[in-house]
This record gives sequence, structure tokens and C-alpha cells, in this order.
Amino acid sequence: MTARSQAYASLRICYFNGILPLGRSPLLIAAVFLTPFSFLFFLFVIAPHDLFPYGVTGGVLFTALFTGSGMLNDCAYLRLERQLQQVFVASPVRPLAYILGMALSELAFTIPAAVLFLALLLVVTPISAAGFAGLLGVFLLTWLMATTLGFFVSTMFSQLREIWPVGTLIFSTLAILPPIFYPATVIPADWQWVAFLAPSTYSSQLADHCAGLGGQIVTPIPFLNTYYFDVVMLIAVTIIFGAAALYLARWREP
Amino acid sequence: MAVLEARGLSKTYVARGRTTRALDRVDLDIAQGQLFAFLGRNGAGKTTFIKIASTLLLPTAGEVRLFGRDVVRDPTGVRPLMALVPQEGKLFYHLTPREHIREYLRVRGVSAETTAARTAEILDAMGLVPYENTIALRLSGGLQQRTLVAMVLATEAPFLFLDEPTLGMDPFARRQVWAVIRRTVRRGSTVLLTTHYLDEAEQLSDELAVIEGGHVLFKGPSESLKSTVGREVRLQFSGGFTPEELAPYGKVFRDRERLTLLTSRSAASELTDRALGRGTQVSVGPVTLEEAFLELVGRGIEEDDAE
Repeated sequence: MTARSQAYASLRICYFNGILPLGRSPLLIAAVFLTPFSFLFFLFVIAPHDLFPYGVTGGVLFTALFTGSGMLNDCAYLRLERQLQQVFVASPVRPLAYILGMALSELAFTIPAAVLFLALLLVVTPISAAGFAGLLGVFLLTWLMATTLGFFVSTMFSQLREIWPVGTLIFSTLAILPPIFYPATVIPADWQWVAFLAPSTYSSQLADHCAGLGGQIVTPIPFLNTYYFDVVMLIAVTIIFGAAALYLARWREP
Repeated sequence: MAVLEARGLSKTYVARGRTTRALDRVDLDIAQGQLFAFLGRNGAGKTTFIKIASTLLLPTAGEVRLFGRDVVRDPTGVRPLMALVPQEGKLFYHLTPREHIREYLRVRGVSAETTAARTAEILDAMGLVPYENTIALRLSGGLQQRTLVAMVLATEAPFLFLDEPTLGMDPFARRQVWAVIRRTVRRGSTVLLTTHYLDEAEQLSDELAVIEGGHVLFKGPSESLKSTVGREVRLQFSGGFTPEELAPYGKVFRDRERLTLLTSRSAASELTDRALGRGTQVSVGPVTLEEAFLELVGRGIEEDDAE
């Protein structure tokens, strides 16, 4: 199969694993929307209202990070419970085409919720065209980072029961604990650097910046306080997770 | 010409400090256009062999070549030549049989026209037309399995791995699947199938192999396997005899109250007369593949125990 055929295979996987089920079970859209909306609602009720836009950018990013959790669970389910990944391994479909197809199908599930949060963001804060484009770029990089991590982890286990707690642990650490729904500046200054341990912090800092919101982590090292650092780190982490998905994931069992 | 060649193939699983040898220096050739059946008890090594040959699993030692290509070193080269029905595979619950077949062919790079023609043909041949637009979630287990097999057979890949393809199907559905498998072979595919249905192996296969404890105990046509038993006739007694009484005449199997004896024609004649004299019901027939398999594998187990 040529590179074009592999790209087409990815789109077909996205169609039958993402778009078709979405059309048949629209409730899936509500399921993706509900968790970040609940966080946002909670924030709206208990936090000062000037933090609300941070919660909305958090909602946008949460949907992108949610694709990673979906990828982890779906890929593990298809491999361990349905034995369907094996049907694709023993075929001309390359790992990259399968991973991309699965990642696109996860994106299909989350796009409606992401669009709602983006629309809400435009209502609560003015965003320039360049800022909006930047926000979309951050969203896509976060989606790539999360889905490649999800795929890599999904291949490391032989029991579904082992996957569920690991998935919850990883994606809670990525999407709930770090400053996604709140600015990093609410963390005590001495401890703000800890947020850098979660790669989603770089996404969040960039998303807030693109949306015209402040709240940058401040450290004694000047370069770490720039958005260039966040861009470099987000791209680097995405490349590392992508390489892990392509070269370290168990497409073939050892 | 052999299209699948396995040489010295071994696989050892190590899990939590426990070592299990699933395959032990297996040599096997499967010729082009053959329908080859792999028989063995649960855990004998059949699925491990299929997983290695279909590039799902790495061997511990040895090699497998498919169409001359090493499946370990050149998986990308061999994968376009194969398709697999995995053991206990299940469908995408939200897709219909028609969508499964169509999407799998399109993902594999089959053109839209060929896909449409093959999808229609296989849905019809597998008796799936009445269910073609029903999502898998609402299909019975047998229909789901038929869809999975249809999806893979429709590829008409040069080499097809079918790991227990008729599991859970009723006898009518099994025969429908057999007919499509035979047709696929006539069109040029080579098939390696595993099954626990001995009648299926006998009906379908040109050649078969029996594997036990990771070793190939037998390879050849089913008639040859039956002749290896060394007995020509099967007698079945409903009471009237004890296993000890029959043991000197041949191999005895016990199934609840019924005793089966594999023996020679002369002994069969003598024992039939005695059974009639005792008023015991006795039936006579040729040795079946299942009996030959039980005898061979039983012998294999005894040899392993002796080692």
C-alpha cells in the first residue's frame, strides 16, 4: 500500500470507528461535554468570576486531553476484548495509519464539545484571529500528544482490568490536577514549577496566552518564563510520545 | 511449492517467573493452494503458531517464511499477503455486517468497485443478506462470527489464517462457511485453519497436523492419520463388557456407559458374536478421525509423562 492508501486507511478508520458511531449514538457527544462542563460549573459557582475564562480554555483543552483517555480505552478494548487490532496487524495497514485513524476517530467524538467550549470562549473573552489560530494549533498538538500516549500505554497491558486504573491515573494527572481549569498563578509561587511536570501545563499556558489571558508560571530561570519554552516543550513531548507509539508500542507481542 | 515454511520454531512464555514452552522446534511446510488444518488440544500450541506466522507474536527461536519472506524480519513485506480470523474475535458492536466487510476491504486498499462486488457476493454466500443492515450488537453470537469470517475471507488474501473460524456456529452455518472457504481456496488462497471440530478438519483439509505440547505429532492427510492408529474397525458397546475385558483386543475409550474399541477386523468379528450372545447392543463402523486423534494425542501425552 502506498502512503496515500495508508492515509486513506486512516480516514476510513476514523469514519467507521468515530463518525458512524457518533451518528448512531449522539449521547456520546453529551458524555464528552459533561465532565469539563461540570468542572466549569463548579468553578463558576465557587471561584471569582474573573477566573471563568481560564475554566473555558480548560474545557477546550480537557476535550483534547480526553481523546487520550478514549484512545487508551478504545485501543485496549479492541485489542484485548475484541481481538480486532490483530485483524489490522495481519493486514497491509501500517501502525501509523492505524494510530492516526484511531486518533482521528477520538477527535471526531470530541469536536462537538470542543466547538461548544470555543464558542463559549469567544463569548466570555475577545480573541484575535491569530490567537484563535494559535489556540487551534495548541488543541491539535495536545490531541496528538494525548492520543499517542494513550495508544502506547494501551499496548503495554494484557488485561483490561489493569488498564482502567492506569488510564484514570494518567489522565487525571494530565487533565485535572495541573493548571488546566485555573491559572498557574493561584499555586503558591515556590511550588509553581511542579506544574511543569505535567506536559498538559505547556498546553494550558499556551492556550491561555492565545486567548489573551495571563497567568504564566514564574521561575528564577528567565527562559522558563517565556512562551517559547512552552512551545518547545509541547512539541518535544508530542514527538517523544509519538515516537513511543510508533517504535516502542507493542504492535507485535514480544 | 511450500508457501509457509516453519523451521525450528520455538516459543517460550515467561510470566511471573513461570515458564511455559508453547512450541518446541516445530518444522512445518504448507503448500500453495492447500487447505491445511491444525489440530490439537487447548493449549497445545496451535494459536501460538498462528500468532507467530501472522506477525502478531515474536518467536523465541526458529523462523517462519511466508512466500519466501521472513515474518520476523520483514513483517511489512508479508502483511499485505495475509488476513486473519483471530480466535474468539468479535465485531465492532456499532457496525452492520455490510459495513464490516466493506470497511475492512477499503482499509486494506481494495478498490470501491471490487469492494462492492465482493461484499454483495460474500453476504449472499454466507447467508448474511437478511442481517446485512443490522448492527452487530443485535446479532446472535453465531451471526457475529459468520460476519467476522466473511470480512476476512472477502479479502481473498493469498494466505488466510483462520483460528477456529466456525466456533459457536450451528451445523448449517458451518457448512455454509465451509463452502465459502473451499471457494476461496479454489480462487488461489492458501488456508491454515485450527479447529476442535474433527469433522470440519476431515471435510475441509487437504492435509493436517496434530500438535501436542508444542510438538508436531503427525502431518499428512486425514486418511493417513486414521491408518496410523493401526486398527481398522470401531466397535461401540452399550454395556455387557468391561474395559479390562476389551483391552487385550485394542484401544478402549469410555464415554459414560458406552465403551468404544478400536480393533482389527478379525477381533471385531469375534467380539460381535460374543456381544450378540450376551444380548448386548453393538455397533460397527470405520475408525473416525476423532478416534485417531484421541489415540494419537493420548499416546503423545503418555510419552511426555514418561519423559
